[in-house]
Amino acid sequence: MQSLNRHLPGSWRKLLLSLALLISGLGLLLWPARTLRSDNFVFYFPTSRRVIPLEVIDSVQYLPLLPVLNLVGTLNGLTERRNNLKVAFGDSHIELHDGDPRVRLDKKTLILAAPVRVSNGKWMVPSDFLTTVLARLTSQDVEYQIGTNRVFIGNIKPGSFTVRMEQESSGARLTFQFTDKVTVHTESTNGKWVMFLGDHPIQPLEQSFHFQNPYISDVRFDDQDGLPKLVITPSAAGMNFYPELLEGGKVLQAEVSKPAQPPPQTPKAPPPATPSSTATTAPPVAPGPATGTAAQTGPATPAGPPLPVVALDAGHGGEDNGARSRDGVLEKELVAQLVERVRQALLTTGKFRVVMTRTGDANVTFEQRAVAANVAGAAYFLTFHAGDLGGASPQVAIYTYQSPGLASPSSEGGANPFFVAWDRIQENHIGQSGKLAQTIEQDLAVLAGVTVDPATAAPERTLRSVNAPAVAIEIGSLSPDVDAGPLTDAAFQLHLSSIVAEALSALQAGGA
Amino acid sequence: MSRRAKIFWIAVLVVFAGGLFYLRSLARRVFFEPPPHSDESAKARLSEAVLQSGAGPNETAVLFFPSLIGRALVAESRPIKWAPSEADRVRQVLLALAEGPSQRLGHPLAAATTVRAVFLTLDGTAYVDLSSDLVSGIYPGIEAESLAVYSIVNSITTNIPAVKRVKILIQGQEVDTLEGHADLTEAIVPDPTLVKGNP
Repeated sequence: MQSLNRHLPGSWRKLLLSLALLISGLGLLLWPARTLRSDNFVFYFPTSRRVIPLEVIDSVQYLPLLPVLNLVGTLNGLTERRNNLKVAFGDSHIELHDGDPRVRLDKKTLILAAPVRVSNGKWMVPSDFLTTVLARLTSQDVEYQIGTNRVFIGNIKPGSFTVRMEQESSGARLTFQFTDKVTVHTESTNGKWVMFLGDHPIQPLEQSFHFQNPYISDVRFDDQDGLPKLVITPSAAGMNFYPELLEGGKVLQAEVSKPAQPPPQTPKAPPPATPSSTATTAPPVAPGPATGTAAQTGPATPAGPPLPVVALDAGHGGEDNGARSRDGVLEKELVAQLVERVRQALLTTGKFRVVMTRTGDANVTFEQRAVAANVAGAAYFLTFHAGDLGGASPQVAIYTYQSPGLASPSSEGGANPFFVAWDRIQENHIGQSGKLAQTIEQDLAVLAGVTVDPATAAPERTLRSVNAPAVAIEIGSLSPDVDAGPLTDAAFQLHLSSIVAEALSALQAGGA
Repeated sequence: MSRRAKIFWIAVLVVFAGGLFYLRSLARRVFFEPPPHSDESAKARLSEAVLQSGAGPNETAVLFFPSLIGRALVAESRPIKWAPSEADRVRQVLLALAEGPSQRLGHPLAAATTVRAVFLTLDGTAYVDLSSDLVSGIYPGIEAESLAVYSIVNSITTNIPAVKRVKILIQGQEVDTLEGHADLTEAIVPDPTLVKGNP
């Protein structure tokens, strides 16, 4: 710096300094960014569990190599050069190179899904190292599902669970069916209910479940601290929560309800005791701002058998407006209005509960729509759309699902009923969906002044993953060439809604 | 000037020259290089022009267009000089569909649609990669969208028997649907029951 001061005039010094700053600024700006975030990875052993922080670099999960090896065995030696690491582990020798996905294990070369990296001086390996390399290093079983944050090492049979949500008149009921017995300890933290599931390792089928429901927003499985637990987020504050273990600890049922007015004071009646049952009833919990349990009593007890659920889907939504009429009516708004009328008509019958896959102007994916219906155990699924139907308005067309990959739509169902992928589950219901479509079509025939197209099959994407008899109902025409007046008419919508409700009632009663 | 000062100045110059070179390449990349898709688009349009001029003897292609009333496809015949390769024939069919029907029928493809690429696989699947202009020609709704899709699939499979199913890509990407309805998540087999006159 002294040399710079001595040999350069002041203006040159400033210029050079500015240029250096500019170049280094640009360099920093354009340096390829690495996406980096931290999470935990849980190692389950038969009698213990350990948590190791993992890093996600460029969308790949990385684990620190040496802590992982230390967990499962003994390091006998380590030689680290600039870009190369040699590890003596038990009787084996491992050699890795920075930036190289190949790992040399004794005389074999194994290839990882992503290159080995050195991050903050630590040798990091992608998580498939667990199955590609670690499984060969140890004599113990290594069970790891790519993409998850947990591995089971040794003789461990992790359990799993399914979730079902049923909406009731004054609340919702969550039912968790576990493959193994669990014990439950419930706490309320930051407005959420946390149910600790004891010591048994759990590998969930899905990490989280989302609901569009006035009582429950989502259910998430979490074991980031090594303790398996379910975190339930209520849709609103002030709900009551009554978890209860049934069937010897294999079924966990949780009632969520709005507090009654005035608040109930009577204690909850204990569940009927059975000699073999180890069921425990956790006290009701209300979510509060701080950790702790708030004793609320008087659970909502369901009266009679649950009513069948109808899932109603208003097509499009959010950024997807769908079709637009000449006078500016948007499909997403029109069908939301119609679906609300159908909901009212169905509730008026007193024979159904209703689940809405979209409430408000929200972006909802096809999968989320199907999951909402499937998780609720819907007996029927109706998706509503509006589009160009060619003829005069108003028109109604009803569609069942036509699999695009099957040569000809069959009324008997898919090509192979034994092996239908989960996302094509509707193929198992084609026959019942056809019956549902025909029933609605026949009932609509009485609707004066409305053209009803014969029910047919179409590859409607919304229906593809619905695990219930399902149809798409399209009203028309809603297109840039015509006004939407006949479709926005309240009388038309009310008639259509009541006919749909009557058709479902008739079908449910077996009188279709 | 001392030796140390000379070394210092050389180092400063090297850094400065490196910075200038970097700025120059950056400026070229930002201001002068054409966007990558324009070249691709130009190539696609050039190949379309070549295909439209034709090379072989006059034959007949059968195209299926959506009916404006009712859920049906209507067949139209037109003379065509088939290209030698099957992939090019698929392109020819798509371009003919984009030209539109001669009768009063629906348009399955907007006229501005570009056929970006066509690949055929041994199992008889044709992968057709179309530009996103495709959707601008389709009327909205379940019926209109599914008819547009089957118009493409039935036209290709009828004229090129080696093709058994068609997988539609938009801008090189797999898509769930065109406009929220027709399921494009897998390759689509033709549906002959949609053709007017067929049982």
